[in-house]
Amino acid sequence: MNLIERFRQSWEKYSHPGYYDKFDYAWTMSIDLDRCTGCEACVVACQAENNLPIVGEKAMAQGREMKWIRIERYWEGEYPDIKLRFMPMLCQHCDAAPCETVCPVTATYHNQDGLNTQVYNRCIGTRACAVYCPYEVRYFNYNHHHWDAPLEQQLNPDVTVREKGVMEKCTFCIQRIRQAKDQAKDDGRRRVRDGEVQPACVQTCPSQALVFGDRNNPDSLVSQTLVLEHARSYRVLDELNTSPSVIYLKSVDDDVS
Amino acid sequence: MLVEATPKPASITYADVNRDVVRSLVETGPRYYIALTSAFGLTLVCFFFPWFYQLFYGIGAAGMNHPAVWGTYLSNFIFWIGLSHSGTLLSCVLHLTRSSWRKAMYRSAEAMTLFSLMVAATMVMVHVGRPWFIHWALPYSNQMELWPNFRSPLLFDVMAIATYLTGSAIFIYMGSIPDFAAVRDRTSGWRRHLYVLLSLGWRGTDTEWHRLGWAYTFLAVLIIPLAVSVHSIVSWDFAMSIVPALHQTIFAPYFVVGAIYSGTAGIVTVMFILRKTMHFEQYITHVHFDNLGKLLLALSLIWSYINIVEVFTGWYSGSSAEQEALKYKLFGYYAPLYWEMILCCAVAPLLLISGRFRTSLVPMLVLSIAINIGMYTERFLIVGTSLSRQYLPDAWGLYVPSLVELSILLGSIAMFVTLFLVFVKIFPSVSIYEVKETLPTPAPKADTATKGAAP
Amino acid sequence: MTSVAIGLFSAPQSALSAAEKLNSAGFTTAELLSPIPLEGVEAALGEKPNTIKRFTLFGGLFGACFGFILAAGTAVLYLHPTGGRPIITLPPFFIIAYEMTILFGILATVLGFFISARLPALKERVYVPEVGVDKFALTVRCKNAPELSRVQTLMREAGAETVRTDEETS
Repeated sequence: MNLIERFRQSWEKYSHPGYYDKFDYAWTMSIDLDRCTGCEACVVACQAENNLPIVGEKAMAQGREMKWIRIERYWEGEYPDIKLRFMPMLCQHCDAAPCETVCPVTATYHNQDGLNTQVYNRCIGTRACAVYCPYEVRYFNYNHHHWDAPLEQQLNPDVTVREKGVMEKCTFCIQRIRQAKDQAKDDGRRRVRDGEVQPACVQTCPSQALVFGDRNNPDSLVSQTLVLEHARSYRVLDELNTSPSVIYLKSVDDDVS
Repeated sequence: MLVEATPKPASITYADVNRDVVRSLVETGPRYYIALTSAFGLTLVCFFFPWFYQLFYGIGAAGMNHPAVWGTYLSNFIFWIGLSHSGTLLSCVLHLTRSSWRKAMYRSAEAMTLFSLMVAATMVMVHVGRPWFIHWALPYSNQMELWPNFRSPLLFDVMAIATYLTGSAIFIYMGSIPDFAAVRDRTSGWRRHLYVLLSLGWRGTDTEWHRLGWAYTFLAVLIIPLAVSVHSIVSWDFAMSIVPALHQTIFAPYFVVGAIYSGTAGIVTVMFILRKTMHFEQYITHVHFDNLGKLLLALSLIWSYINIVEVFTGWYSGSSAEQEALKYKLFGYYAPLYWEMILCCAVAPLLLISGRFRTSLVPMLVLSIAINIGMYTERFLIVGTSLSRQYLPDAWGLYVPSLVELSILLGSIAMFVTLFLVFVKIFPSVSIYEVKETLPTPAPKADTATKGAAP
Repeated sequence: MTSVAIGLFSAPQSALSAAEKLNSAGFTTAELLSPIPLEGVEAALGEKPNTIKRFTLFGGLFGACFGFILAAGTAVLYLHPTGGRPIITLPPFFIIAYEMTILFGILATVLGFFISARLPALKERVYVPEVGVDKFALTVRCKNAPELSRVQTLMREAGAETVRTDEETS
């Protein structure tokens, strides 16, 4: 009976989706498109923090860029009523991520903090996750990368350097999150305080367009921002039902033509 | 290859079949060795050397880039799996419908299946970024305490192709056991040892025939749903993504029909070459080409219908991403390839309506090669154009295959030819006992009462 | 050492009628060797049970269970949530079970064939090389000389071209 009971409980627990309602911390980022100036400081900060390789001119010409956050530019209208819109696009850490289901070796999975993690050591480079991602935020290491001296002295020791053939993407600076959680544990089992952990892009943004925090905590800045700016908030490609953790705030135009 | 064959009598006897097949195995002329050496050399130069270069340099040696992360390696993979479909599947279906025209050609068709699957498996190894870890996709208990992700469509692929490879190998072997026994008696040396082993001591008793018949029928019944599921599963690698041009329910039937279509065209090509080079004119006749032509026509019509459905539903959906992807496919950068595909696979096969075309061999050969070129283009378009145009316009890109990729495509064809050339000298490439079944049974001779003398 | 009487026939019909005569004369261990599978053998020599189907059935059932348990069991033992799906998801695991059903069905059929046809042949048994080409042969194991000559007479009456004897270590 014990075995059958265990089997039945196991079945009850695991055959229904629901584990993602009970995240430990639910890391969320809100991006205010009204404040984004397209300066790409976040791109540079991410490159510095996460040991992103410099792919070189030839690879860029072939279209093999390596950026974990990119600023998408969309032109609207004709001269002289031309408008330029910027949209920072990074891994949305979708709760129903299409990329996670397709990895044959489970190199990407959803962790207990609601993050979509990428395990570089397990990746065999099938690149199916990049195909399945509708936001196209996954980047592949096509070549072996090399840092000319003295650039290798700038590498962040908290972050691994990926070899060729491995897929990578934005991790919400999981090394900073891990450090903050470790610090919190050392301080005596408190929770990570709001503002204690910020990814490199959030930290660097000069117009504070990016806000990062725990949406499980109603007092965090990101939760308050989302409540305040509810009218402007939306998710990119929401119709695909990927439940992203990155919320965008629409920019409001002055002229109503 | 053979020396000039002696002129045959009007009707073939059982002994003739044995003699012809054994002769095709044993007699090799200089043309065969030249063909084998050049195929093997091409494989080394065009497949293995560029692959090793890619192993050192990274996938960057191929032409893939940021949005288009999948390229010709995957379209080669689908092409070879597609080519594998008709041999075993067709053989099983025709066995269960008890058709007689399958008998002479099914052995080579099944061999085609087996070797296409092997080449497809090597394509997967070329495609992944870290092939030295590709064994992690197989379920085995390990110290990392990690198992593959069984929810992944790529893993259904691994399971399905492993099953299909095993099933095809077993199927072709089981069907050949009586033939190994027949040729073992007339060969000597290393061949005899090999055939003694492979024939397992088959004697041809009624019990053995009965068991073989049932086992073969059960295998055929099992392999038909397997073959349909394999290519459906390969299509789901694409259809389960949410890329606009790929996320379509028609993909599973599309791929299965396309696979049988290109595979049957492949059989026509191989039969033509086999007939010419092994002097099997008595066994592979115009009837075979006629029937294969009718099958090709039917498949071509179904394939055209599915393409029309795809275009229509894409346009009717009103989804901007879907319509953009469709417009790009038909009128964008790759438009010449799309229309070439339509010409080769939908328009040209309409020639098969004429019975005279179906029974003229060289036009059939040219058409079958054209169909396969068109089908390869279709696979390339599925992979290349869909990834170039996805949801976010800022991330659109263009994919052009590199020299390394084209060389590996050529090398994979050379590998297939090499494997097939080795096959025709080891396996009897025409099934002896099944051909005998189509011949008239010997009539009873007058009573000869010899007493106990051994012949 | 048992003596085996071998009768060679050119035509399958005469071989079949000879087999029927021998069977009704009481020699139920007669074997009919042929280069092609013949219709009407079961009428002449008696019905044969189809044991392979049991192998296929059990192989298929085992494969279905194995496939599902492999997929679901490993997913539960090593929990990696992916894509917001449940840990035990039925559609993908059904596909895995389906493939394993067919794989084990095929393997079990092959095993069943080897066991019921008694191949590979481990014991030396009587072989008639002409059967590989175009002759049909009847072999009967006889315990003693009178039986042997009776069998040979029956065979010649039924139209055997050649009749000979062979020895077989039993």
